[in-house]
Amino acid sequence: MKDRLAAALKQSRADYTEIRVERTWSSAVAFRGRRLETATVSEDQGGFVRVLNNGYGWGITSFTSLAELPRMVARANELSRAVKLDEPIRLADVEPQTADAVLELDGDVRGVSLADKKKLLDRYNTAMLAVSDKIVDTQASYHDEVSEVWFVNSEGTSLYQLRPEVVLSGTAIGRRDGTIEKGLESIGLRKGWNSVQNFDKQFAVVAQRAVDLLEAPRVRGAAYPVILDNELAGVFIHEAFGHLSEADFVYENPQAREMMTLGRRFGKPVLNVGDNGAASGLRGTLPYDDEGTPTQDTPLIKEGILVGRLHSRETAAKLGEQPTGNARAISFRHMPIVRMTNTYIAPGKNGARFNDLIGDIKLGVYACGAFGGQTMLENFSFTAAYGYMIRDGKVAELVKDVVLAGNLFQTLDRIEHIAGDFTWNQMGGGCGKGGQFPLPVTEGAPHVRIEEALIGGDV
Amino acid sequence: MSSLDRLLDAALGKVDGADALWRREEQTAVGFEAGRLKAAGVSEEAGLNLRVLAKGRMGVAGTTAATPDVQELVQRASSSAELGESVDLAFPTAKSQLPTPIPTFFDRTANASLDDLIRMGRMLVERLTRPDCQVNVSVEREVQETAVGNSAGARGEYRGTGIAVTADVTRISGDDVLMVYDQYVGADMPSDADLEMLVRSVETRLTAALKIVTPPEGALPVVFTPAGLAAVVLPLEQALSGKTVLQGSSPLAGKVGEMMFDARLSILDDPLTPGRPVSRPVDDECVPSRCNALVEHGRVGKFVYDLETAARANTESTGNGHRGIFGKPRIGYTNILFRMTDGGAGARRAVPLPAAELGGGLLADIDDGLVVDDLIGVGQGNVISGAFSHPVGLAYRVQKGEITGRVKDAAVAGNAYDLLKKIGGFGNDGRWLGARWSPSMLLDGVSVARR
Repeated sequence: MKDRLAAALKQSRADYTEIRVERTWSSAVAFRGRRLETATVSEDQGGFVRVLNNGYGWGITSFTSLAELPRMVARANELSRAVKLDEPIRLADVEPQTADAVLELDGDVRGVSLADKKKLLDRYNTAMLAVSDKIVDTQASYHDEVSEVWFVNSEGTSLYQLRPEVVLSGTAIGRRDGTIEKGLESIGLRKGWNSVQNFDKQFAVVAQRAVDLLEAPRVRGAAYPVILDNELAGVFIHEAFGHLSEADFVYENPQAREMMTLGRRFGKPVLNVGDNGAASGLRGTLPYDDEGTPTQDTPLIKEGILVGRLHSRETAAKLGEQPTGNARAISFRHMPIVRMTNTYIAPGKNGARFNDLIGDIKLGVYACGAFGGQTMLENFSFTAAYGYMIRDGKVAELVKDVVLAGNLFQTLDRIEHIAGDFTWNQMGGGCGKGGQFPLPVTEGAPHVRIEEALIGGDV
Repeated sequence: MSSLDRLLDAALGKVDGADALWRREEQTAVGFEAGRLKAAGVSEEAGLNLRVLAKGRMGVAGTTAATPDVQELVQRASSSAELGESVDLAFPTAKSQLPTPIPTFFDRTANASLDDLIRMGRMLVERLTRPDCQVNVSVEREVQETAVGNSAGARGEYRGTGIAVTADVTRISGDDVLMVYDQYVGADMPSDADLEMLVRSVETRLTAALKIVTPPEGALPVVFTPAGLAAVVLPLEQALSGKTVLQGSSPLAGKVGEMMFDARLSILDDPLTPGRPVSRPVDDECVPSRCNALVEHGRVGKFVYDLETAARANTESTGNGHRGIFGKPRIGYTNILFRMTDGGAGARRAVPLPAAELGGGLLADIDDGLVVDDLIGVGQGNVISGAFSHPVGLAYRVQKGEITGRVKDAAVAGNAYDLLKKIGGFGNDGRWLGARWSPSMLLDGVSVARR
């Protein structure tokens, strides 16, 4: 394959050419209620070409028929030549990379029968259904893949990457008359079959939660002191800050650059945030990004001060900064854009525990688990799976529909206490941006306390 | 012989029944970033999806290979069927009702050159450029061919076009970030009037947003614009799906014919609407398309089904089978139309009405409330229960019948089923938004919380 790509590169008349080819083997099993929905094995493959010429913009082609590769290289060049640009697009320098990067498969999913995968998921699905007769519906799914990715460019980079992934998820729907609640478990790992064998308890727990939520009141709408558990704190930092640190939001916008000036204070000294694509074994982990740049640990906020951002080669060149290995595409159907990998809030240095965070809160909310989050940059949402009221320094009754409304400038700055109990989330799902969803990412955080955050609901 | 016929032939004799879909798509896109044309792209994709019935069990397989090995695909689908559930699936026959011919392919769209797309984008950029604003515009054109068929002899074929023109304006002033977005989506090229409306829609919402005011608080009247309605509509879309009804998780299960909503509200799913990119003569399981009334004058009408869920629910497919290249067919909506019995002119018009003012004429009687145009995190809560709670993305305060400015740091919450029982009014601003047509709606008693 590498030779084929090298030959196609040679044919290109463009000033810069890159070719990415992917072949993905995947299998999927899904249950709905007691019934199997699907058990399938699929193979998907295709290519992506992107070229650049001096004085012209990007020309891009993507295709499923690899026999068309030479034609697609030529077509990309024509497209680039149709895009005249006064100010040329420059790419920050990256040393040419040559490597075969094979991530650990941890039990190659290609060697496990579909019947065994069905059996495993059946077990987890049954664990949810067995919790109560109030569980009226479930959705359980298992997906695995092994993706082979070849990347070459006209600067001499030639990479082969083998990327495994396995995702389990379970939704339990509890119902009592007209009241319907759900519990959600999801596990996503850049690993294989061995890593998904022992989740029976987790699936039972979320089904029980769906049942418990049937009796829980909706949280009242108000601004509260809020403690986020590790999972929601991870989603919080992804939405609250991660997206703003993606340089494609600022690089063409002078006002945004001003707002996001390096050195500006965004939080109290207790706050340290980063993004680490090179962390071992996580879902957002990759040796190289989809422009062939090695990934790294990039500090974003250090002791409350903005110190870095996430780059592609184009955004780094424009801002005069270094590429960080954050140009990612969900597949050969898409161009790489600036994305997060594994984003984290570092643990508090004084090693505080949960009890230290909750002790002096008279009335507040302990927001737990994550159904998701979304950002419009300054304002963002993060939706807890469930929550508890905090009364007189103690965790009190279960509440539901806990959705937090965040504001970049107010919410981050109101974090004064961060616990020492850091964990990486290992959730499935993924991040969506620019029509590319789901991109595998991970977040990590300890318990985090926000002095005041708005929660929606009846007032 | 087409790939589809070769595949169905290969399945013959090896399995008890089969149906398949072949689809080829070609997309051309141009992107303007910060007012500059930066990229042009083309994507080509073709794939085959096969479903088989073997010993009463169902299996599926798909491929994007350029020259598909049909034997291998049949083999893979058969292995999938060995693990599959039994289902008494009856494929539509050649004798089933003939598809209604509708225009899905527009030469103007298919033949538009790269320069035509660039020119359209450039015009929008020029019209929307203003100091302190970053303007991003994309124009995406798609041409597709679809063939569906089954072992019972039914065949369906059509070509389609689609074009999406998206304008996205970000205004940053100090620490205030304002994002306004709108889109034209159609099967035919937008007219000058359509593009003019897109410009005016962005301008109107941007201008009204320049002033920031304090949000109100309490249970208030809220006008949801066609874009803002998403959070209210989503629970209904889930609950009206035959799948959730079958699973026992739909709050509307068992309520066909019951008055559950305001008596003026009807909701249709209509794959035969002319000029829409998701319209088609047959669905992805070769069932002829038809218009289905999901809600009729406030009463629950039909739930939507594909072949499998219909078989399990002992009913007929409503022509809502939807399939990709991988995985099995599932239920999908086509064009959703909110149709009002009192006025609400021409819900089936393909061409949107001229841009009306924000709020669609529903603001006059509001003493204090909101116009909600965008909410953050829609779809991420416990959607099927009808409950929603979201921070506002773009919302305006209404005082004494007038918009007084944009509100930030507020959250709205409510339950779609409660709120839609009594609708305060339907706006005169009905329009397409993606595949949904609706006017603004005034809903009373929406909880608004603020910091």
